[in-house]
Amino acid sequence: MEPRGEVFVLGLILSLAVLLISVLISVWARRFTRSLGDYYVAGRSIGALNNGLAMVSLALSLTTFIGLTALIIEGVYIAVAVYAAFTASFIGLMILAAPYLRRHKSFTTMAFISERYDSKTLRIMSVIVMLVVSVLYLAGNLKGIGIVFYYLLGVPEIWGIIVGGLVVTLYVTLGGMYGVTYNQTFQTIVLIFCMMFPVAVVLKTLGAAGWAFPPLGYGNMVTLMETVKPHYFWPMLVHPVTYIAIFLGSFFGIIGLPHFVMRFFTVRDAREARWSTVLCVFLVGLVNTTVYATGFAAVYYMNTSGITIPAAAYDYMVFLLVEQLAGQGWLAIVVAGAVAAGLSTVAGLLMIMGAGLIHDLYGAIKPAVDDEKKLRLSYAAMFIVGILVIVFSLNPPQFILEAIMWSFGIAAGGLGVPIVLGIWWKRTNKYGAAAGMIAGFLLCFIPWLMIGYLGMNPVEIPFPFFAKYFYGPLGWIKITAIGVPVSFILTVLVSWLTPPPPEALQRQVDEMHGWQDYEPKRYNGKGLPITIIVLAVVVMWFMTTLYDVFPK
Amino acid sequence: MKAYKLEIRVTTICLILVCLTGGFLSSFFVILNESFFSKVATPAHLVQYYGESMFVVQKYVMGFPLHYFLLIVFSWIGVSLIGAIWCLVMDKLEDQQRT
Repeated sequence: MEPRGEVFVLGLILSLAVLLISVLISVWARRFTRSLGDYYVAGRSIGALNNGLAMVSLALSLTTFIGLTALIIEGVYIAVAVYAAFTASFIGLMILAAPYLRRHKSFTTMAFISERYDSKTLRIMSVIVMLVVSVLYLAGNLKGIGIVFYYLLGVPEIWGIIVGGLVVTLYVTLGGMYGVTYNQTFQTIVLIFCMMFPVAVVLKTLGAAGWAFPPLGYGNMVTLMETVKPHYFWPMLVHPVTYIAIFLGSFFGIIGLPHFVMRFFTVRDAREARWSTVLCVFLVGLVNTTVYATGFAAVYYMNTSGITIPAAAYDYMVFLLVEQLAGQGWLAIVVAGAVAAGLSTVAGLLMIMGAGLIHDLYGAIKPAVDDEKKLRLSYAAMFIVGILVIVFSLNPPQFILEAIMWSFGIAAGGLGVPIVLGIWWKRTNKYGAAAGMIAGFLLCFIPWLMIGYLGMNPVEIPFPFFAKYFYGPLGWIKITAIGVPVSFILTVLVSWLTPPPPEALQRQVDEMHGWQDYEPKRYNGKGLPITIIVLAVVVMWFMTTLYDVFPK
Repeated sequence: MKAYKLEIRVTTICLILVCLTGGFLSSFFVILNESFFSKVATPAHLVQYYGESMFVVQKYVMGFPLHYFLLIVFSWIGVSLIGAIWCLVMDKLEDQQRT
């Protein structure tokens, strides 16, 4: 894809303004940081409104602005399923984990796993899983920032990755979690404005009824789209287990992605954790449906204007569309929104990586180190992590959404399962959690190495044995329908076959659920583990059915 | 145990609804395809992609295919409402636990 050909001054000014304001917010927020708790979890003082808005900016990364639009233009119904699963997954996160994690009083996901299972080994294992998923997620988002800079200035994507990466590293290092939270709140407001209004103008130009409300303003384009892409709304192109796999990856992936979970450690109490999620899911749905309008508008525009855009350039489509149909003023606003979206997600990831390395890894190896030294080390670690991630991102994935989907899958199998069972089943012990984590992580990570990294054909990979069923569009997604169920089955079975955890650990479960007293029978029945095993087996069996029905 | 049972029941119901909107609804559209789509002969120029027969959308709501409309509405408005209801019940339960 060729850049615009000239420096886009207005877009550049607005983007630099977003970057500058982000750094200034961090400098201002630095005054609130006096302890390690302030640096990592903002002193647990964030309210529901602030936290909900901050979560929105984490959720609406550049994947939403760029990657999801590209997937929608490809015309695969899977995009609809991704949207539905991702939106619903926030409520899943809330129902299964958020308020309980807040009551546990940990700093990070890794600390929660370590303390709930009383195991340093699990702490180190979870730090490794966290680093893998965070780097995958980061690489996708930094590439997105590179795309924006390439389109704006015509400079190689690598410069966008370096400049964007350095700015985020600077403000995360400076401001800690206070800076990250206030920045994310600011960036959410920017990106909602920068998405909704330009898309409304685009829809108006295309003559769509209801253009003023983009989430539903594109319905009358549907009939035309169906004449040019009859498969656009077909769910029947892929095996139904694909949708269950997407759901499992989103649902347990978001619980396993530590930068999402970390937001719940920053709020005042469990009630604030719950309501911030409801606010977040409403706003995420609003923006995501607007992204749908963008994708539909792009399909409509391409097919009515006769313009041909190569599939490799679909990541740029949102910018092309706004420039052509709304004008350069609106394009500058969209570009600023895209920069804000990229920065906020990268900031959250850097924060959790720094916390994981110093608080969870270094703290586990040298528990005697005092908080003041840890705080000093945190500043240094955050800066070094930022630089390392920039270096790693210089060779980014081809499509950013793909990298993000892989990280969701790996997080689901590797971290999501031990967190959920640790909250809801007292009998889960460290042996079961370790078995589930290792199996879930490897079952998703090894296929990523073979398919996502080495570029092998999904149906030909030697591991796992189910590979022949990974056929069809985005067929590799079905790996999650093995990784997550196997992780659940092993965690339950191994926990059952080994001694139960001590009462002190079982008490944590009651405390997480808000009970003042301890009752051994609570969260300790056989119904949950049996249901989990049955459902897990059914999902895996279902994948092996209907083999001859769907296109390969 | 009464409050505990309330927590488990409400959580289970909300979880099932969220699972439905989040992933299983799409699967049902495939399994129950004849309720949402009509099977027709594929136009000649598309046979190479879709085979001899293909499906076309049966019903529309506000311009959207029914299954698509159901999905975006349930997964957005639906889960927001489910989440809010769950929050209200848990707020009430939390007050009981404190007393």
